[in-house]
Amino acid sequence: MKLIKTLAAGAILSVVAASASAYDADWKRGRVYYRSVCTSCHAVQPIGTINPSSKTKAEWAAYLKADKHAKGKDTVKQYVSKAYRASIKSGNKAAEKFADTPDQELLDDVAAFLTKGAKDGDSPASCN
Amino acid sequence: MKVALALCCAGWLAASGPVRAEEAKPEAKPVKLTTTADHGKFKQLQKTFDSGPEVTKACLECHTEAAGQIHRTKHWKWEFLNPETKQTLGKKTVINNFCISIASNYASCTSCHVGYGWKDANFDFAKQENVDCLACHDTTGNYKKPPGFAGNPVTKDTEFPPGSGKIIKGIDLAKIAQKVGKSSRDTCGACHFNGGGGDGVKHGDMDSSLAAPTKDIDVHMDAEGLDFTCGTCHKTSSHDVAGSRYTPTAKDDKGVQVRGKAGSGNPATCVACHDNAPHKKEPRLNHHATKIACQTCHIPTYARGGIATKMTWDWSTAGKRDADGKHIVKKDAKGRITYESRKGDFTLAENVKPEYAWFNGNVQYTLLTDKIEKTEQRTQINKMGGSPSDGKSMIWPMKVFRGSQPYDPVNKSLITPHTAGNDDTGFWKNLDWDKAIPVGMQDSGAPYSGKFDFIKTEMSWPITHMVAPKDKALGCVECHARDGRLTGIQGVYLPARDNNRLVDTAGWAIVFLTLLGVIGHGTLRIVTARKH
Repeated sequence: MKLIKTLAAGAILSVVAASASAYDADWKRGRVYYRSVCTSCHAVQPIGTINPSSKTKAEWAAYLKADKHAKGKDTVKQYVSKAYRASIKSGNKAAEKFADTPDQELLDDVAAFLTKGAKDGDSPASCN
Repeated sequence: MKVALALCCAGWLAASGPVRAEEAKPEAKPVKLTTTADHGKFKQLQKTFDSGPEVTKACLECHTEAAGQIHRTKHWKWEFLNPETKQTLGKKTVINNFCISIASNYASCTSCHVGYGWKDANFDFAKQENVDCLACHDTTGNYKKPPGFAGNPVTKDTEFPPGSGKIIKGIDLAKIAQKVGKSSRDTCGACHFNGGGGDGVKHGDMDSSLAAPTKDIDVHMDAEGLDFTCGTCHKTSSHDVAGSRYTPTAKDDKGVQVRGKAGSGNPATCVACHDNAPHKKEPRLNHHATKIACQTCHIPTYARGGIATKMTWDWSTAGKRDADGKHIVKKDAKGRITYESRKGDFTLAENVKPEYAWFNGNVQYTLLTDKIEKTEQRTQINKMGGSPSDGKSMIWPMKVFRGSQPYDPVNKSLITPHTAGNDDTGFWKNLDWDKAIPVGMQDSGAPYSGKFDFIKTEMSWPITHMVAPKDKALGCVECHARDGRLTGIQGVYLPARDNNRLVDTAGWAIVFLTLLGVIGHGTLRIVTARKH
């Protein structure tokens, strides 16, 4: 019985330890990246700007999970990657500012902003 | 015990090991840099909160002095004694020409108070749990205090106004409390961007575009660049935020604020960082800076972020109903409201050139106790002191907001009507001044003759935010021209705007005589050359 309790305590602690190192997404950084990088490019493309409030939380989650940008021509992830940021940083201040941010963290940040700003999110948001 | 420890370690290794193995180049473990405490780990906050004061109680278990500090501030008291004019001011007392006054409208207006439950004049200002920590320390952006709830957040889905069918979504206070952090442009902006009842309405140089602005909107707050928060300039100590609309610093001759230097004054002025002679390449401009506020050249226009600010408000046209007896709302082509039965006619504008005036920081308010006369001239809600010769004034950019609002022609005083409120006398519900005014004046403790009229007023708001990048600062010809921006400014000689008849006559005489001399001399040379 004692062993079970100890095991249980160990398991709980290990979960806590694992979650302590999990990244806590920063929606404000996501907001800056989305508006400065995604929107600045979309604004001049034929497709135009896309307000976060144009999709629901579920639609954004599905979009990010599918990871298909431009109907699958490339991935969404690559536009948040360090390599992409390095390629545009000479002309994009946000890309330069977040040049060293780990890919997954920045992707989580953008996802947090989209979830918050979605049509059914806590604060539906526009592009600017 | 040893076994337990070993198991824990094994568990932790098992949890973290594979993640590290997967990554070729492990990223550094994410560390929160904006706070030293992850509030999600505190037991006090791991529960359901049904009201704001419950959250504050939990905060106060550790931050024992915080509420006491807040109690000392203008943000809490909404009361301020101006030491120069001896006027008692503060939001509780002053009147404006937007929504007019908070007296009699507490439950709506106090959604922007840093407290909970200020629904009438009996609010308990001494109670610690009444302090709202989350208004300034929310980082989620989800904390909201809807008008009508006396500064309380709504924690369960609520129909408001009752019977309207409109549902205000309840918010989860535990989630918000577990993520508290430093104040930000978003938290300050929740109230200060929305002064006057909506985004950008009141100030003109503050609206939601400053939440994450580009460099063009504000060179300091630029989210991709310097990323100043409000607190970077409005340096806060013991919860008391520096800077004031009631006693503005019009002329700061104290130079850069060095740490430890005594008597530095207001840390939020431009000079506090940039010094009194900041133009290194163009010393001529430093000469300008002795008479002209930095803001005059460096904020060429306000409301630059794509959000319009209100410029005029005519209460005298309020109260109309359509053929069915219903309230009317009219909008312009951009979807902005230009008429509401509840409020009257508005005009709005973006990218507005300020008006300019000598200003020495002295502001005299027209309060409910002051006598006013209806004349051709507009009544000034706040008289801005200043002159070219008092040695304390600078030329400042202003938003001048003009309106028409109710006043008592017999007692010759302004009026504080009861507007907000889901009751029979609230003007915004029943559009009846004869009900709204007596109740409002009674709540203000002021006499009312029973007669009302409308009086034209104006109110000045010094412009100081939305500082443009230096290459967008005003060029010379904006002012050095016949009809330049400083046309109405007296007391300075402005080349290209001003002239002196004697100097002009003498100058043109010299030009004419020189020309005559040259022509005469040339003619004589030609004539004499032919002779030889």
